[in-house]
Amino acid sequence: MKSMKKLMAVMMGSMLALSLTVGCGAEPKAGGTAETTTAAEETKPAEEAKPAEEAQKTYKIAYIARAQSDSFAAWLANAVKDEVAKNYKDVTVDVFDGESKNEVIASHIENAVTKQYDAILLQPYDSEAQVAPAMEAMDAGVQVVTVNNRINDNDRAGAIDADPVAQAAKNAELAFEQIPQNGKVVVLMGPAGNMHSDKRRIGWQQSFFDKRPDVKILDEQIANWNKDEAMRFMEDWIQTYGEIDAIISMNDNMAVGALEAAKAAGMTDILSYGVDGTAEACLAIQAGEMTSTTLQSAYALAEEAVKLTYKLMTGAGERETILVDCPLITKENAQEYIDLHKKAGNLK
Amino acid sequence: MNSKGVNQWWAKATSKYSIYIVLIAMFIVCSVISPVFLSTKNITNISRQISITTIIAFGETLLIICGLIDLSAGSVLALSGVLSVAAYKMTGSMQIAMVVGVSVGVFCNAINGILVTKFKTPPFIATLAMQTAARGAALLYTDGQNIYQIGEYKALGQNSIGIIPIPVIFMIGTTLMTWYMLNHTKFGRHLYAVGGSEEAARASGVNNNKTKMTAYLINGLFVGVAGVLFMSRVNAGLPNGGIGAEFEAMTSAIIGGTSFSGGIGTAMGTLAGAFIMGFVNNIMNLLGVQSYMQQIVKGIIIALAVVYDIRSKTKRDKKKQGNINEKLVDSSNKAKEPGAL
Amino acid sequence: MDLEMPKLELRNIEKSFPGVKALGNVNFSVKKGTVHVLCGENGAGKSTLMKIINGIYQPDQGQILINGKEVKINNPIEARKYGISMIFQELNYIPEITVEQSMFLGNEPTNKFGKIDWKKIRSETVRLLEQEKLHYHPTTQLKDLTISDIQMLEILKAVSYGSDIIIMDEPTSAITRNEVEILFGKIAELKAKGVCIIYISHKMEEIFRIADEITILRDGVMIDTKPTNELNIDKVIALMVGREMSNIYPKEEVAIGETVLEVKGLTNNSVFSDVSFDVKKGEIIGFAGLMGAGRSEVARAIFGLDEFNQGQILIKGKEVKVNKVIDSINHGMVMLSEDRKRYGIIGVRGVRENVALSKLERFIYKGRLHIKDENTTVSGICKRMNVKTPSLETSIDSLSGGNQQKVMLARWMLCEPDILILDEPTRGIDVGAKYEIYKLITELVKEGRSIIMISSELPELIGMCDRIYVMAGGKITGELENREFTQENIMKLATKG
Repeated sequence: MKSMKKLMAVMMGSMLALSLTVGCGAEPKAGGTAETTTAAEETKPAEEAKPAEEAQKTYKIAYIARAQSDSFAAWLANAVKDEVAKNYKDVTVDVFDGESKNEVIASHIENAVTKQYDAILLQPYDSEAQVAPAMEAMDAGVQVVTVNNRINDNDRAGAIDADPVAQAAKNAELAFEQIPQNGKVVVLMGPAGNMHSDKRRIGWQQSFFDKRPDVKILDEQIANWNKDEAMRFMEDWIQTYGEIDAIISMNDNMAVGALEAAKAAGMTDILSYGVDGTAEACLAIQAGEMTSTTLQSAYALAEEAVKLTYKLMTGAGERETILVDCPLITKENAQEYIDLHKKAGNLK
Repeated sequence: MNSKGVNQWWAKATSKYSIYIVLIAMFIVCSVISPVFLSTKNITNISRQISITTIIAFGETLLIICGLIDLSAGSVLALSGVLSVAAYKMTGSMQIAMVVGVSVGVFCNAINGILVTKFKTPPFIATLAMQTAARGAALLYTDGQNIYQIGEYKALGQNSIGIIPIPVIFMIGTTLMTWYMLNHTKFGRHLYAVGGSEEAARASGVNNNKTKMTAYLINGLFVGVAGVLFMSRVNAGLPNGGIGAEFEAMTSAIIGGTSFSGGIGTAMGTLAGAFIMGFVNNIMNLLGVQSYMQQIVKGIIIALAVVYDIRSKTKRDKKKQGNINEKLVDSSNKAKEPGAL
Repeated sequence: MDLEMPKLELRNIEKSFPGVKALGNVNFSVKKGTVHVLCGENGAGKSTLMKIINGIYQPDQGQILINGKEVKINNPIEARKYGISMIFQELNYIPEITVEQSMFLGNEPTNKFGKIDWKKIRSETVRLLEQEKLHYHPTTQLKDLTISDIQMLEILKAVSYGSDIIIMDEPTSAITRNEVEILFGKIAELKAKGVCIIYISHKMEEIFRIADEITILRDGVMIDTKPTNELNIDKVIALMVGREMSNIYPKEEVAIGETVLEVKGLTNNSVFSDVSFDVKKGEIIGFAGLMGAGRSEVARAIFGLDEFNQGQILIKGKEVKVNKVIDSINHGMVMLSEDRKRYGIIGVRGVRENVALSKLERFIYKGRLHIKDENTTVSGICKRMNVKTPSLETSIDSLSGGNQQKVMLARWMLCEPDILILDEPTRGIDVGAKYEIYKLITELVKEGRSIIMISSELPELIGMCDRIYVMAGGKITGELENREFTQENIMKLATKG
């Protein structure tokens, strides 16, 4: 009994010491954590994607998802897991569900620090709310990389994102050509205050509405990213306004939902724009029902995010902000993305 | 009849049928303020929009009457929906898909029922646990991804027979079923009795556990059907579908006069409550009321419904204190069928 | 003519509720140091009148005078200022709080910082308890006291407020005989101190023991107010019900048949043990005993509401298992519970549903419950039971206690039972309704049914029963034949062991 206690004390002490060295090694902008481990130096750069067989050290990443019940977030989490499994033999990743709650995400970050993960890969839920816990984690010497959204004060965290304004703008540019003179449109928004919804709306404003004052917005409602809610709004709009030229939606789910209602009402030539590039939207675009969307590729995000995280963990690189490309999907190239989804198992 | 008698008759009629009066008043007001409201197409739309929630609302009505609750309805709807979609994709048979959807709903609610009756878990907690677990199961099964390309599965939710959408037919079916159960079966009477006073029901020879269990199983049947209709209507298997559906359903039930203190509620009241909510949502969209404003209006309506519920209850208590004169009941009789519309 | 000014005087009090005139023409006065009893059937307006005096309701017309000055009492707090306190029939108390907390509930002394002065509460409580010779500890929780104790505390509270008009609404309805004696002793003390007491009761023996004056109400109208010595029990009852009642206990001779129920060695650890008795066809069997003797518990066990460890129940010679209430109903045995509110009525539902609840099968054929049939049958039974209700759909909790009891009897009559267990069938109901229930019991045995009657009112048992079993401490301490019935004999057995 006594010896157990001693052993515990020794372990505690060494843990404390370790955490101190880790903490010192991660001075702000110190450029990684190279001096904390020797194993890291022996590891090959991530690009080679080959694990060092002799490496004693394995790296632990805590992936904190915004919400596992959100289909894009789930896709991204899966993509991150796949990416790590496929290309990083010396890295393990554990996924935590943020449950769309800032306090849950904060506690996941704190736990990740306590459990001595080497890095936290965070999909922020609220750009402001996650700043403080992320900073604390970095102060404790844990690398933080954000993906698919950024935290506001992100000087010290790596960031991988797609630009939501640009995502919308690509569709908006197409709409600029397609929507007829004095066209009438309806707008579907994501949850109130959602960063992506708001930024995408800004993209539409800048690249379309500001340039086309002739276009009339019949109504603009929050359908919470949901297909069924969007359907309900569209059904009522068809009753009220009769003629609608285009559906402008901040994501694909809502665009496809509104389209279901339009199809049911026999409106086959309505234009519709989304964002995300979900499998369903790609199919609808290929079928000529939906007009366009931009791909927010979970693979591209996951690949870049894991790469950057690995670099920071191993000290092989500096923190940086990378914006992944978001290609426009139209009828011409839809097949390409359907294949991508099939490969990912999103389409069975 | 003197004027006092007329007043009393009026007061009684308005309190008993107040919900229908509100419904009719809303209908008239909506027709006046929006020219499209009264179109056949719009009324069809409203009926279709409320149908799925209403089917769940009947399950909640049965449970709330019995002093129970189901917080898991939205999640179980998603689970039975996605599994039904999956079954359809595997077999191509709508019958099998329907059976799977309903079975999952019934199975989940059998667990709810066992937790409540056998293990004496408070219904709130038992179904809250099921809410989390069923949602988790739906997400696990689909990997968090929507299921697409479900082919003719969508027919059930999107097609019509004549001008009546199929989900509306299901809604009418469940309305009649609920009405019949509540008024013309032993089970219905036992529901009211258990909800009104659990101990008194037991002392009257009612098998409380059996009644509660049956209520959950029927709720499961309704939720399962709603799950199939939901996925069919949105033409996809959405593991995130129906979040919060139980609250919308409970709102319809409460507005329709079902009392959270148990023992009170009718099928027609719940249907009226659902239509009131449907009218409110619809008219606000027709008028282009701003999103945030819509939420405020809905909140006010729910609060009013609950205040009304509590007020009518305190009125009952007052009446009790007032020791009203009691007349001898005439055996030749006022044979009224209660709950009949 | 008494020259002394009345302490409290009511002149021409009238009160209406929407559609109903609850009180009219109420005039009476109460002198210092006297007990004034209010009599009347349930629904006669006694409670309304008391609530007016206590400020819960305001009269539409009329005057209330205290010490000869007209006052307007807007709420119970004002009533307290005028020296009026009320001890309610159904005591509302918080089981978890202590004696001292309850004494000063809502009226806690505070120091200058607003902090509750617990020291003062303790010392005041101890002083009051000693003054009134009550032996409770200030920190005992109310749940550990008996109803009678709590009643005493309520009276003590009233005294501590300096009240000199104390209203007691049926204070003896839930306490034992010994406790009644304690209460009456207290009342005598209060009288001696010049406190006047307005006492509501149904129990004639009690009324004539303590009343100085009696006021009788019927259907909201004051019928008479007289000194006690000008009245007798029969007169009061006649005034209350508006008709002469020839015999309070309408017992008739009925042929006694074979044994229908036999209970052997029924035991439930710690509650009752080795209870054996039998009931014959056409018999009325009484169960006497003090509160807590285990009578209701035995009945509940036989009926299937509670479990028991050992023993046999034989109905018509065959052993039966009663795991659930429905089992005993199917064997032709039903029980009217002593706690009607808890184990009887489904308050929010209508009379029709309440009556039909235990025998819905009667109206179910072709897969459907036929409400028309139900209505016809139920209204027939209600008529036989003389249930007074505006309609069969009226929710049962808006009926008076007596009518609720009759509805409960109607429920069991629908089951056509051979054996009826009636646990305190007349508790808390008025004389008129009591008489109706006695008559019904007589009719039932004439039809060849058997009755087990549990009652705390000995005259009722003596007047109605063929045999009486007496219980004490969970055991049957004796069995008395009709000719042995006396209160003394019963009490001797009831206090045994």
